[in-house]
Amino acid sequence: MTDITTQGASEASKPFDRARALAAFKLGDSTFYWLTRVSALIVLFILGGIIVSLVIGAWPAIKTYGFDFLVTRRWAPQLEPTPILGALGPIYGTLVTSFIAMLIAVPVGLGIAIFLTEFCPIRLRRPIGTAIELLAGIPSIIYGMWGFFVLAPFMTDRFMPMVIRTFEGVPVLGTIFAGPPSYLSLFNASLVLAIMILPFITAISRDVFQTVPPMLKESAYGLGCTTWEVVRNVVIPFTRAGVIGGIMLALGRALGETMAVTFIIGNSFQISGSIFAPGTTISAAIASEFAEADGLHMSALILLGLLLFVLTFIVLAAARLMLSRLEAQAGK
Amino acid sequence: MTDLQVMTAVNGDRAAPSRDRHVTLEVRDLDFFYGEAKALKNISLDLERHSVTAFIGPSGCGKSTLLRIFNRMYDLYPGQRAEGQVLLEGENILDPKLDLNLLRARVGMVFQKPTPFPMTIYENIAFGIKLYENLSKSELDGRVEHALRGAALWNEVKDKLNASGLSLSGGQQQRLCIARTVAIQPEVILFDEPCSALDPISTAKIEELIDELKAKYTIAIVTHNMQQAARVSEYTAFMYLGELVEFGETTRIFTTPEKRQTQDYITGRFG
Repeated sequence: MTDITTQGASEASKPFDRARALAAFKLGDSTFYWLTRVSALIVLFILGGIIVSLVIGAWPAIKTYGFDFLVTRRWAPQLEPTPILGALGPIYGTLVTSFIAMLIAVPVGLGIAIFLTEFCPIRLRRPIGTAIELLAGIPSIIYGMWGFFVLAPFMTDRFMPMVIRTFEGVPVLGTIFAGPPSYLSLFNASLVLAIMILPFITAISRDVFQTVPPMLKESAYGLGCTTWEVVRNVVIPFTRAGVIGGIMLALGRALGETMAVTFIIGNSFQISGSIFAPGTTISAAIASEFAEADGLHMSALILLGLLLFVLTFIVLAAARLMLSRLEAQAGK
Repeated sequence: MTDLQVMTAVNGDRAAPSRDRHVTLEVRDLDFFYGEAKALKNISLDLERHSVTAFIGPSGCGKSTLLRIFNRMYDLYPGQRAEGQVLLEGENILDPKLDLNLLRARVGMVFQKPTPFPMTIYENIAFGIKLYENLSKSELDGRVEHALRGAALWNEVKDKLNASGLSLSGGQQQRLCIARTVAIQPEVILFDEPCSALDPISTAKIEELIDELKAKYTIAIVTHNMQQAARVSEYTAFMYLGELVEFGETTRIFTTPEKRQTQDYITGRFG
C-alpha cells in the first residue's frame, strides 16, 4: 500500500474486477427472474388445466342435462336407459352445512381470539393458542369418527328431541327443526364442520388483533372506553380486512370439506327442509359414489366437482366485493 | 438525597407561585414499579389549574411513566403499580375502587403519534361524546363542530367530515386527536411528546393550540424538546433517573436553575 505503483495498479484493476463480478451477478439475476416468473406462471397453468379437464370430464353430463342439472332434485344413477341426475340436493346440503357451521364458528372463533388478545393472563395465552392451532392439525377423518361415535349420539339422544319438542307446530322453525332425530344429519355434519374451521378463524383473527398498535388501543382506553368498546370500535374495524380474510379461508374449507362430512351426513340426496334430516354435500356425494360410477354417472360427478369449484369462486368473490364495499363505507 | 429534594420541592418551588392559585392535581410521595424495578422515586409536585406544566429529562427518566399514572393507563399492564397519592381535585385516583373509565373522562391524553380511530373524522369525535352523553343528532353535530374548532381543525375538515380520519396529514391527525380529547370536556389533558412525529409547522400549530387550551384545561406535557418546554409551559419539572430533580416556574428553571444536573441538561451538556 505504501508503494505508489502497486497502489495505482490495484486502483486500475478494481473497476475491472467489479465489472466482472457484476456480469456474473447479472446472469444470476436473470436466471432468478425467470425461475420466479415460471413458478408463478405454473400456478396459472395448473389452475387452467384443472378447469379444462373438469369441463372435458363433465361434458357428457352437461350435454345430457344442461341447466336442468342444477334444479333437479332426483338422483337415480341406476335408471335405464338414461339415469336421472340432479345436483340440487348436494348444492343445498353444501350451502346449508357451511352456513350453519359459519353461524357457530364465527362468533365462537372471534370470541376466543378476543379473549386471547385482550383478557387472557399472559401465562395462559400460549397454551390456549397452541391448543387451538393443534385443533387445525387433526386429520379430518378423526373429526368424522369422533362426530359419528361421540358427538352424534349425544346430539341425537339429548339435544335434538328437546329442540324438536320446543318448536313443534311453530311455523318455519317447526319445519327447520323437524324430527325424527338422526345420527346422520345435516346438523351433526355442520357441528363437526364448525369445530374444524374454528382454529382458522381463531388463529388468523388473533394474529391480526395483535397487529393493532398498543398506542391506538391506549387512546381508546384513554377516552374512558371499556375493553368491549375498544374491541368493538377500534380493534375489529382496524383489522376488518384480515378478520374477513380468515373467515373466508374457513368458509372455503367448510365448502370443500369431504371426509368428516361424508362420515356423518348420511349421503342422502333428499331435501327435507329439516336440518336434523340426513343430506349430502357436493364433495361427500363425489367421495361416496366415485368408486362405483361409470359413464354418465361418472361424468355427472365430475360436473358436481366443477360446480363446487364455481360455487367456492362465487362465494369468495362475493366476500371480496362485500369487503371493498365495507371499506368504501369506512372511507378508507 | 431524596429527602433533600422533597424539601426543595416543598419549601423552594411549590411556594414560588402566587398563593391564591388552585391546584388541580396533587402528587404526594409517589413511587412506581415495573415489576420489581422502581421507575419513580418519591415524586411530589402540584399541577396548577389552567396552566401548562412541562416534564423534561433524558430518555428513561420516568416522565412518560409519571404522565401515565395521571390517567391510570399503567393499569392495562399487569405487574405495573404505583404507591403514594395522586389527588385530582382532592380525590385519590390511585384508589383501587376508583372507576377508571370515569377517571379517563376527566383526564384526557394525547400520544406521541397521531392515533385516529379507524372511522370517519366525524365519528372520531362523536364516538367519545356518545360514550358519556345521549345527544340528538343536531346537538351532536354542534359538539363535534365545537371540538374541531377548539382544535383549530374545523376549517380544514368541515367539507369532508365523512372522510376517514386516516386520510388527514400527520399534523391534522394529531389535532383530530386533540379535538377528540377536548370533545368529552376533561379537566386535565396529558400530552405525551405530542409533536415528536410532526414537522415544524404542524408543531407550531399544536403549540399554539396548547397555549389556547390552557384557558380551560389543566395541561401536563412531556417533551424532549427544551425550547418547546420553554415556549409552552408556565412550570417545568426536570426529572432524572426516576427522581424529580427540580420543579418550578419555567422562566426560573431555564434562567437560574438551582441544581447542577438541571443546568447541565438544559445547556445540553448531557441527555
